[in-house]
Amino acid sequence: MKNIDPKTITIKRALCPFCSFGCEFGIIFNDFGIKGVEYVKDGNSNGRLCPRGSAAAMYLDHPRRSTMPLKSGKAVVWSKMAKELRKVVGSPKSVAVTFDRNVTPEEYAAIVGFCDSVGIGYTASTYFEPEHNLRPFLEKPFAPADLDKAKIAFVLGDIFNQAPMSSRAIIEWKMKDKKNELIAIDSLNTHTAGFASQFLRVNIGTEPLLLLALAQENLDGVDIAKVTGIDARVVKELSNKIKNSSKGVIFASLPFGHTYDPGLYAESLDRMHEFSGMKVVPFVEFAGYEGSQPFVSIMEMVKRKKIKNLINFGELFPFYYPQLAGSLKGLNIYATSTLKHTDHTLLPVPLSLEKEGTVVTTFGKRKLTGNIEPPSGAKSVEAILSMLSSGSSTGKMPHAVEKKIDVKERARRIAEITETKKKSFKLVGEKVAYNFLGFLEGEILKINPYDATELGIGADDIVTIKSKYDAADLPVRITEDVDQGLLAAPAETPAVRGLFEYEIDSELQAVNFIPTEVKICRKG
Amino acid sequence: MQKRIVLDLDLCCGCRSCEAACKAAFKGEARIRHGDIAGVAYLPLACKHCKQPLCLASCPVEAITKDDNTGLVTRSAMVCIGCKSCAFACPFGVIDAPLVRHISQKCSLCADRDEGPRCVAACSSGALQWLSDEEIEQHEVGMRMVSKDLFFRRKA
Repeated sequence: MKNIDPKTITIKRALCPFCSFGCEFGIIFNDFGIKGVEYVKDGNSNGRLCPRGSAAAMYLDHPRRSTMPLKSGKAVVWSKMAKELRKVVGSPKSVAVTFDRNVTPEEYAAIVGFCDSVGIGYTASTYFEPEHNLRPFLEKPFAPADLDKAKIAFVLGDIFNQAPMSSRAIIEWKMKDKKNELIAIDSLNTHTAGFASQFLRVNIGTEPLLLLALAQENLDGVDIAKVTGIDARVVKELSNKIKNSSKGVIFASLPFGHTYDPGLYAESLDRMHEFSGMKVVPFVEFAGYEGSQPFVSIMEMVKRKKIKNLINFGELFPFYYPQLAGSLKGLNIYATSTLKHTDHTLLPVPLSLEKEGTVVTTFGKRKLTGNIEPPSGAKSVEAILSMLSSGSSTGKMPHAVEKKIDVKERARRIAEITETKKKSFKLVGEKVAYNFLGFLEGEILKINPYDATELGIGADDIVTIKSKYDAADLPVRITEDVDQGLLAAPAETPAVRGLFEYEIDSELQAVNFIPTEVKICRKG
Repeated sequence: MQKRIVLDLDLCCGCRSCEAACKAAFKGEARIRHGDIAGVAYLPLACKHCKQPLCLASCPVEAITKDDNTGLVTRSAMVCIGCKSCAFACPFGVIDAPLVRHISQKCSLCADRDEGPRCVAACSSGALQWLSDEEIEQHEVGMRMVSKDLFFRRKA
């Protein structure tokens, strides 16, 4: 038997890639491999680490970690896979290449260069998370001094649960001066709202309308008080308070399936910024590349049978959007991934924790350390590309095209949705760090006590929820944090994410995942 | 006991970073858990390492012992038979009844880590602190009220 010599323990520093806060931590290795995480005092978060960071070591050697290429769940050797991929890219006119948020700018440049060199013309983004709309706000990094100077701060969404590392600074700022005001806006009662001086509990998906009203935008024909559920007097008082105040911060998050119009959400934040001068600080997952191209055009090409093969670089697509499967029927999908999946053809790649490169955080651009070695079977994006084509080239990063949207029309649409009488339950997405990929705990469905009683559902019961795409069984938590007629669940695993409806935003050419009508019953 | 975990409830934001740190370090064992006082607060629950521990008294195989010097109450994974007596005896309900790997889940204050418990190191808002008796006396705990909202936090 091998004795472990404590001296052989090594700690390798890494930048946490699981949200835009950019915490640093150490991964502890001993003779047998990964032992756990260590908290480093001089890091961005002073050693503190949220559930995602703590689960990082679990992720690195998770039993579901992909270490071999898989074809419909069956292992294939890399040489055979490379041969197949070379054949695929040999007909570049029938290939589309896509990339999601887990691609660094360096990887993105290599992918674009590869597409240019082999003649692949169809490229698009599969970063469908609604939060990608907040991505432009990361261009102006947040500095703690922004909050120090502030007298008022807005929080949109449950950021203390989504990015817990934000909590300390905000709570300290609020305790520092009794006059400092923290205003929470959300359709669900949350832990973050519990700390607020004022909680504006809006009707589901109407946050953008409240923001536009606060920014004194003229929304003809939309009764803000009726649609949002917030008294007109409250809106007016608050609006006058923030006008040209400039000393303020808006912390914003946008979980999957949480709002009807992510595009309008981002636009309304922009208008709030213009009106008040307040700085918008978004909390998103790590975002690497900066370009944005419409996936909708790829869907159209698939429909017209122009594309037969799709190669996705990243970790999310297509596994975390099962509802899109219908629109991608007949397509051979090759996708890079860090976890094993049984569908499609899977190419194992390093986690962001194991990569070198640049990422964008709330505090500006940071470098990934690349200190941690990926599993032996995983290949970097650059290695995969070099298997497919001789020579390497780098492409140019396209800049996101600014698109004007019809704010009034979109506001009217949300008002119409809100006014439509509800026939069934609406499922809303949440983002909870503790539910990270279901590693520590699976999703729990929140239901209002009145609804639970009506349906004969008791605490800890398992319920089945059905949407038009799929069904899932979840344990329930009965709580007044959700209004009657609403159900809320963190959308972390494909089983829950696959329930959410998607819409094509023709103006922005985006795919949006929105609050969804579902049926609920006790299991069995 | 040299140092204790102190909870400043005013700061706890309910993110369960503490629980995650514990679970990740002890392979699925959540030795610190949370209580949800509906509509009022989230309350991390950890072993108090009692002066006269009832878990120790109830253990039929003497798997739980108390170190007289440090005050630490520990459970030997090798001796524990998973009878759950400690879980039922604990007056604070901090030993979780479901077994992990057939043994009870008992906080050891991360005795294997020189810097102190991992839950304290991970705590995102600084609600959990690792303090000595002298530090506790000087420390202001539960004196500040963060929110004016009577519904969720205590009123200012």
